[in-house]
Amino acid sequence: MSLEIEKIILRVAEVMIDELKLEDVTPERFEPDVDLVDEVGIDSMDLATVALVLQDEYSIRIDEDDYPKLTTVRRIAEYVEKQLNK
Amino acid sequence: MGAAKEEHVCKSQDIPGKKWKFSEILADNKIKERWEKVRKFFFLRESTYDMTNKCNIRCEGCYYYEGEKQFAKENKDIDAWRSLMKAEKKRGITFVVLAGAEPSLVPELCQVCYEEIPLGAVATNGIKFISENTGYKIHISVWGNDKTSHKLRGAKNMLSRQIENYIDDPRAVFVYTFTRNNIDEAREIAEILADKRCRLTFNMFSAPSGYEGELRHNPSSLLHTRETIMDLIAQYPENILYSAYNTAAHTHQTGLHGLYGCSYPRMNPSTDIGLGRSFRQYRTDLTWDRDAACCVPDTDCDDCRHYAAGSAVVTARMFRHAVNPELFKAWLDYVDTYLSVWVTGYEKGKNLCDNLTAPPGFKVF
Repeated sequence: MSLEIEKIILRVAEVMIDELKLEDVTPERFEPDVDLVDEVGIDSMDLATVALVLQDEYSIRIDEDDYPKLTTVRRIAEYVEKQLNK
Repeated sequence: MGAAKEEHVCKSQDIPGKKWKFSEILADNKIKERWEKVRKFFFLRESTYDMTNKCNIRCEGCYYYEGEKQFAKENKDIDAWRSLMKAEKKRGITFVVLAGAEPSLVPELCQVCYEEIPLGAVATNGIKFISENTGYKIHISVWGNDKTSHKLRGAKNMLSRQIENYIDDPRAVFVYTFTRNNIDEAREIAEILADKRCRLTFNMFSAPSGYEGELRHNPSSLLHTRETIMDLIAQYPENILYSAYNTAAHTHQTGLHGLYGCSYPRMNPSTDIGLGRSFRQYRTDLTWDRDAACCVPDTDCDDCRHYAAGSAVVTARMFRHAVNPELFKAWLDYVDTYLSVWVTGYEKGKNLCDNLTAPPGFKVF
């Protein structure tokens, strides 16, 4: 795993915890492969909020139609990395 | 834009060509404050339930008595309902809508639902009072003045009976359904309700599949409804739970599905995230059918402008409204209205946007 993707994973976890006010978890301990819908219980509105913050931060565009792919922190981070390298 | 009044059309303060960051939109304190207010309720996840196949009146164009659901065998077993509610809560449902045909006729079932899932709303004709013990929002359907109600619903003195039951009841919201034929009567109804300190919101008649009657809207009636609502919002801001963007969205000549893309399972095959995954519409026998699951089953989807559909087709489309301050303010007004109509104890704020804003990617009408 590249250093860059590790940094993005950590930042996505931070945003997730911050925006969704998740308790009892730190970015470092946020399991990047946990299913956000099934196990964390996030919904499309939560995901939209996180996506808007990440768009701002990385100056990228996240397509609404891609939401269904963004099911884990790692997948979101990979999506961000891909957009950055476009 | 035809006959819509010019003064109601939004003169967007958007800066041409500017790509707004979300953080820049939220830099406006009024927007930020409203955003923080509404986002506390993003946890709401709804499903709807037909409570009984009985009703004490028969209305023209009633959704319940269309399609297959009316033939489901009633389950009146309180324990079965309690088990269902527990199971619903377990799969993440936090908000229930008790609907067909007339929930007030089975108060014990409504109460069980409330005991298990305390956020929700009951759709009722308001003739029979629902006990305060059931702390859901109570949506009382109004289809015109008493003369029109008698004609369409076969019941006398409906409005006075409804008001008598629910005056000063914080749960109550009167829901005036605009058809093609009762637009001007809304002024009379609004005046009566405002005088009695009642809250009022609006619904648009959305034709059941195959309906060919005279209630279905056309472009002219949509524009006339639009003007009427905008006048009433200005006239009774304390009593009317509605916004300019609600008006723009629900009186547009393109229906909600065409404007926003409906996310209810019936129109949305995806089960990945959102309503396509979580929403169910239970019949009175406690079964559900994905192919028919939407907030008002058996509506003609192309004609759907139903107020209850707003949760899915407008509220859930935050992302595409977060492109400039004007559009985001309009969306916030919509969500603020939605929550005040559906969530007990939620108080509507003053609308941030007084003008008609075009839905993303569309003209204003």
